[in-house]
Amino acid sequence: MSEPLLAVEGLSAGYLGEDVIHDIDLTVATGEVVCVIGSNGAGKTTMLRSMCGLLPATAGSVRFDGVDLRRLPSHRVMRSGIVYVPAERHLFPGMTVAENLALGSYPKRPDPAQLEIVYRTFPRLQERLGQNAGTLSGGEQQMLAVGRALMAEPSLLILDEPTTGLAPVLAQEAYGALSELREGGLTVLVAEQQVPLALELSDRGYVLDHGRIALTGPSSELATDPEVRKAYLGI
Amino acid sequence: MVAVLIDGLVLGLQFGMLGVGLTLVYGLGGVVNLAHGQMAVVAAMVAARLMDRGTATALAVAAGILSVVALGVVIDRTLMQPVYRERSEHRVLLGLLLMLGVGFIIDGVLEWRYPIEALSLRITGGPVEVFGVAIRRGSIVASAVIGVVGLALILFFRYTTFGRATRSVIEDEEGARLCGINPGAVRTVIFGLSGGLAGIVAMTQAMTSPVVSTAGVGLTIFALIVAVVGGLGSTSGAFLAGIILGLVNTLSAFYIGTFVSSIILLLAAASTILLRPEGLLRRA
Amino acid sequence: MPDRSHTRPPRAADLGAFAPIALAALVLALVPLWAGDSRSMMTVVTTGLTFASYAVAFNLIFGATGQLFLCVGALAGIGGFGSVIISDRLGLPFLVTMPMAALLSGLFGAALSWVAVRRSLDTIFTGIVTLAFALSFQSFVLGRPELTGGENGLQVAGGADTLLRQPVEPYYVFLGLLVVFLVVYRVIQRSHVGWAFRALRDDDAAASLAGIDVARYRILAGWIGSMMLGLTGALFAHYRGFVGDTTYAFGSVDVRVLVMLAFGGIGTLLGPVLGAAVFTVMDELLVDQAQVRELIYGVITVILFLSFRQGAVPALTNAVRRLVGADQPPPREASSADTGIG
Repeated sequence: MSEPLLAVEGLSAGYLGEDVIHDIDLTVATGEVVCVIGSNGAGKTTMLRSMCGLLPATAGSVRFDGVDLRRLPSHRVMRSGIVYVPAERHLFPGMTVAENLALGSYPKRPDPAQLEIVYRTFPRLQERLGQNAGTLSGGEQQMLAVGRALMAEPSLLILDEPTTGLAPVLAQEAYGALSELREGGLTVLVAEQQVPLALELSDRGYVLDHGRIALTGPSSELATDPEVRKAYLGI
Repeated sequence: MVAVLIDGLVLGLQFGMLGVGLTLVYGLGGVVNLAHGQMAVVAAMVAARLMDRGTATALAVAAGILSVVALGVVIDRTLMQPVYRERSEHRVLLGLLLMLGVGFIIDGVLEWRYPIEALSLRITGGPVEVFGVAIRRGSIVASAVIGVVGLALILFFRYTTFGRATRSVIEDEEGARLCGINPGAVRTVIFGLSGGLAGIVAMTQAMTSPVVSTAGVGLTIFALIVAVVGGLGSTSGAFLAGIILGLVNTLSAFYIGTFVSSIILLLAAASTILLRPEGLLRRA
Repeated sequence: MPDRSHTRPPRAADLGAFAPIALAALVLALVPLWAGDSRSMMTVVTTGLTFASYAVAFNLIFGATGQLFLCVGALAGIGGFGSVIISDRLGLPFLVTMPMAALLSGLFGAALSWVAVRRSLDTIFTGIVTLAFALSFQSFVLGRPELTGGENGLQVAGGADTLLRQPVEPYYVFLGLLVVFLVVYRVIQRSHVGWAFRALRDDDAAASLAGIDVARYRILAGWIGSMMLGLTGALFAHYRGFVGDTTYAFGSVDVRVLVMLAFGGIGTLLGPVLGAAVFTVMDELLVDQAQVRELIYGVITVILFLSFRQGAVPALTNAVRRLVGADQPPPREASSADTGIG
């Protein structure tokens, strides 16, 4: 088997000298959709942030497309083909939807074909191009965050809890859009507390518990695993 | 009356441009550049020294402006780096105090080496009649220069990739990083740009009255007031505040008196902070 | 060891807390033995004590409760001009007008503090509002010459023919004032209020949660510190026999006080005194190179904040502790000296 698109080995990271995640091994192959599930505080965000260089890792390696990401500052990571969408979204509230999207393709000018893809996935964004991002509803902001990320034409899209702050209907809708993107061949790594949605979308999954990978396997198997069902599916 | 208004407008444009430079640097990195006015004076002094030695005016002016662009870049790359590593209030305080020190250094050097140097770019020729009002040539050129530079700035921030990237860092630094923008590089470029804007203001001031080597502190205070009234971090706010305060300052100085007019300016700054803190504290 | 902390009858266990003040007072009391022959030297060292008092007062406001008051000179000037003008107009003795003027300064300081607290201004905006106040005061002094003498200044009648115009005696008056200020600072620092102050500086939110009335303590610090400034400014006016537009200007007072305090150590007991002493000596050494003085101030400020952020007193006490080792208990100052602006 050739080298996966993303290969994380032995990754540890944390805050103020105390590791929150320990010895994480994780891979994502091109075309795959992989989910990381776990309860609040399990270390999902810490793991994603340290993979992207937003938080210095204390040990381990992160290889993406043959490049060692730990040597790169975060803004270089974002230009290497990975795009990270944090749960807080970090949009530019005082700038228009169009400007937010355009910045997604920085340092290049926005590609019209890619804009088309974003509009097709999120028609609402096209309706609101001239509106400031800060005036959008929660669901629309989430669409814009993903849309902005897509403008970079990522080979790997990393999403941290894309359903944060969304009503159940909107969360369903968001995952609908993601499965459309998946059909388009996008590689996705998504961390999620809404375990059923994430397992339904993904090919494979990792269960993160107290900063360690507790379990991994195909999503269909995880969905039937008694431990997982008890802990995360409430069955 | 109309002549006073026009003087006020020219002063206002100059204030506005100073405020824009200050507000940009604050918006990007939380640094209140208390040496902003001194940087403007450095540009003027470089140009004046070169002209004393016989350099052509245009060349001397360009060299003066470029020298403070370079000064801004150097300050950002060296002194400001530890500041950017700090967070929130500590960052603001450290940046402010360090730039206060830089202001002393610049003023100290100027006072020591060039205490009586002054830059004058007086534009020769009598006043020009515009719609029946006699306006000094210097005022016309000065406002034209600032108008063109201001327009260029607006286009830059609205339509260029780098201009948008700059605004995005002011809006949300983390978000900018997620888009692949290097906030550190943006800050360095804009610190240089801010210095250049200050230099341009000094040059336009020299068109109507000499810029002396001790003018720095006064310019810094004006820039600070304008930036505060406009809302720290907001460029359009700073420009608008500059124009309003320039008019207010000139009119009240003409009709009431200089000291009262400076108290009015200061009151404007203080009351903006007190009455509209939500607008001002947006990025604090 | 001589003990001058009897100004407030302390418990035996408290005496150590006041020992650094006594020691500093003793050292400073010996200065006239060396400088007393020269009237100009006495002026230099007495002015140095004035700045030490300004710095202690500023330390109470900024160091202890984090309010960046950039109007130290203005508050001192309200005391100075206030006392001089009241004593001139009403013919009252300066011993009466000085406290009146100090109360006036206290009123302004408390009002500024109140505004800052009520509008929840952070450091930078407190700084800008107080700077605007300071510059307005300066414009007022220049713009109302019939009251303040404007650029010509005012000759001060109050204080003439008293011990304040003797060569050496005023030094001890200022020293007494400084010691009182230090004791007040220490007493506040060690009281219940002081604990609140420290909690406040470390974390506003935590202090609020812990039930400390943030607003009240801030305003209290602003009020007491401003009264100290007013009193010092007034005494300085009567001592010098002249007040002018530069006596209390931002550039001649605030800038120096800020650099002195930063050098000595923000939030430390003796930092302001050490800072004032060092800068007084330095000014004297540079008296013939007045034109490079501002340059040197600038360089020191930059170096100070880049590499030496704790200030001299914490750095020294740490060094002493390391030298002395564990045999001797560290000086009390060290245990309660807090770090710099951080």
